[in-house]
Amino acid sequence: MALFEIEHLTFAYPTAPDAPCLKDVSLALAAGEYLALCGKSGSGKTTFLRQLKTVLTPHGRKSGIIRFDGRTLENVDAREQAGRIGYVMQDPDSQIVTDKVWHELAFGLESLGCDQRTMRLRVAEMASYFGIQDWFHRDVAELSGGQKQLLNLASVMAMQPDVLILDEPTSQLDPIAAADFLNTIARLNRELGTTILLSEHRLENVLPVCDRAAVMEEGRITIADSPRNTVAALHAAGSDLFAAMPAPARAYYAAGETGGAVPLTVRDGRTWLTQKTAEKTLTDPALPERELSESSEPPALELKELWFRYEKNAPDVLRDVNLQVPKGSLFAILGGNGAGKSTLLKAVCGICPPYRGKLLLDDVPLKKWKGKDLFRGNLALLPQDPKNLFVKKTVREELAEMLEGAPKAEQSAEIERIAAQCDLTHLLDSHPYDLSGGEQQRAALGKVLLTRPKLLLLDEPTKGLDCFFKAEFANLLKQFTAQGGTAVLVSHDVEFCARYADLVGLFFDGRLTTVNTPRRFFADNSFYTTAANRMSRHIFRNAVTAEDVAELCRRNGL
Amino acid sequence: MRFSDYHPGINFCFFAAALAGTILFRHPVYLALSFCAAALWSMELKEAKALWFDALALLLAALFALWYASYHHFGVTPLWTNRVGNEVTLESLLYGLMLGGTIAAVLVWLNCLHTVFTADKTIYLAGRIAPKLALFLAILLRLVPRIKTQWRRTAAARRGIGCGTGGLPERCRNWVRLFSGMVTWTLDSIVVLSDAMRSRGAALKGRTAYSLYRFDHRDRTLVIAIFTLITLCMMAFLLGQTLMRFDPMLHFSPITTVSVIFYAAWTALCLLPLGVDLLGGYLFRRAQIRH
Repeated sequence: MALFEIEHLTFAYPTAPDAPCLKDVSLALAAGEYLALCGKSGSGKTTFLRQLKTVLTPHGRKSGIIRFDGRTLENVDAREQAGRIGYVMQDPDSQIVTDKVWHELAFGLESLGCDQRTMRLRVAEMASYFGIQDWFHRDVAELSGGQKQLLNLASVMAMQPDVLILDEPTSQLDPIAAADFLNTIARLNRELGTTILLSEHRLENVLPVCDRAAVMEEGRITIADSPRNTVAALHAAGSDLFAAMPAPARAYYAAGETGGAVPLTVRDGRTWLTQKTAEKTLTDPALPERELSESSEPPALELKELWFRYEKNAPDVLRDVNLQVPKGSLFAILGGNGAGKSTLLKAVCGICPPYRGKLLLDDVPLKKWKGKDLFRGNLALLPQDPKNLFVKKTVREELAEMLEGAPKAEQSAEIERIAAQCDLTHLLDSHPYDLSGGEQQRAALGKVLLTRPKLLLLDEPTKGLDCFFKAEFANLLKQFTAQGGTAVLVSHDVEFCARYADLVGLFFDGRLTTVNTPRRFFADNSFYTTAANRMSRHIFRNAVTAEDVAELCRRNGL
Repeated sequence: MRFSDYHPGINFCFFAAALAGTILFRHPVYLALSFCAAALWSMELKEAKALWFDALALLLAALFALWYASYHHFGVTPLWTNRVGNEVTLESLLYGLMLGGTIAAVLVWLNCLHTVFTADKTIYLAGRIAPKLALFLAILLRLVPRIKTQWRRTAAARRGIGCGTGGLPERCRNWVRLFSGMVTWTLDSIVVLSDAMRSRGAALKGRTAYSLYRFDHRDRTLVIAIFTLITLCMMAFLLGQTLMRFDPMLHFSPITTVSVIFYAAWTALCLLPLGVDLLGGYLFRRAQIRH
């Protein structure tokens, strides 16, 4: 029997009554099912998920029926909804209510008015099941992002819900924490039979394990089928959502395959490639390498034996960092959590001054730059969370803040220019906090670009962006470097760096270990590399994207 | 096996009694006992760091006495004449020392309280009064440090684009903007927080409070001990044994068998947590040696 039945649901926000956000959505969610909801940001996923729990439903005009467990949702009282429908939101930090882990776990049970015995048992159960017992007494503030989101999940699960609704729960997490989290979700579904409805853009971790995938486009559910059929349907329809599908599936279709079982995981992708190349000799197993040109110009940024620590007796965070960033390049620094990547960027712009070593900007030592000159026309840092840059009421005012002192006419001309470049023109009068994640990132980039930097530092710029915004963002960066700018970005995002960076370095244990072109860099790695490389490395020498795999298939006549 | 491991209710009763006695009893013997016990315990809790704090508190008491005596001139025993021609008397100096000592002792007790009485215990006790109060406290305890962190992040982000690196007027302007940005951020995160709370049923009637603690036999024994001692001390207070006269002249009630019993009761009360801690340490070591 279906746990949730949604029939002809249409919903419009009061601000736009004629342009409904959800249009005639019908979907049934069977008990024990794991359904993944995909779609671009802004397609109405969050609005849809919020309709499924009355206290979270936004105001607006609504028609259609939502039935939960056979009753219309309005007839299921608040207590039952609180307990049986679990909801986990995007931001791990803001949804934690109390200051201690134990209290957070008990929070929902306290609300339901459980007695001490029940609460103790449930909290103990949850802490043990999720492996939280080691940090049970800790302050929430000490936890990592992944731990925080796991805590959010555990504290919802403590109420023993029948259905768990998750709204892009991993968008703020690094890839390792995200994979852990999604594995836990799959485990809940498998071991406890909890029904899961998850919206997510890391589809490579979700599609192989979910029962069905639904696609939402402009407020409509266009496809709801098994993962393989969904991928096939998206490809057949030529939808641009296909770009968000796992790399093995994209390589499969890009190589000209039709029908058959689409590989969704690296393992299946390998099997497919192995079968495809069986008993054939490869004439051309590698793509041509782009040679690193030795330029006579001084590098845009040069670090020589840089050392930094936060406190006198703390361990070193940067240890002997050496780095040369050529002018006009997009330089990506990859590395795990807490490796010191962000600190490196802060050291470059003087927020974390190194205690030893040389830092040359345009061949001039950083110390020689006066505070103001350094940040006007030279250097700028785009922080990890774009919200940290916003202090005004509209995007226009945000941009104007960077142009203070210039004549009015010049100011508005500059704002128009940068708004056009970053696609912000229609957003200029919106509040920065009302923008979506991708739009905020663009607004922040616009603000930073107004300082006209020659060297742009970016801290995890793709965090929380879906693959369309990533592509758009990469275009902006390419424009910037094409005009002679240099960009250094630190990231966890292997796929993004493989695709768009000119040079890639791996940061580990406080120093930069290797620097190379993406193709050489990822071809040399066997774990820390892209999905396309992992699925093809036993056959092709240096394919790092799905397109590379397809290209090599073509070159070898496969 | 430490005093801090006992039930928060006991911790609370003890500190309430110790602080009330220290403040209400105007008697040098009681005060000295209280201060010494608190100082010893603070050194047991925080080691050398507490020594500095205790010494500083004593110095403060002495300074307060001097200040007090130079403004109040009651009493019959002049000691010297100060610069403006007023007489400094022994009575007012001692009374000032008494008041200063009280403040010092209270500070040292509070220093101990700060170590022993963690936020978890406050939340627990608040939850016993009203679960909603406990929730409110817990939210505050989370929100305030979060705002601080966010302030630091925003300030760093703005430094990364060169805001607030100029002179004083520029820095002030940056501050105002940071502040207004923080207000927006706080409101925004409270909206998310309230969604998360309502989603987990925070608005439902009949909230309870989870407790980390259990009241056991060990706690019961200690409660009996504490309340016996408190009763004795209250008897001393009601019999006027805990007061000493300073005005117009010093009058110290004679030391009798009964008053010694009262002194002993107060000493025992003040030293109770230290005793519990030391005994706990001893029992632990003994248990380890046996195995």
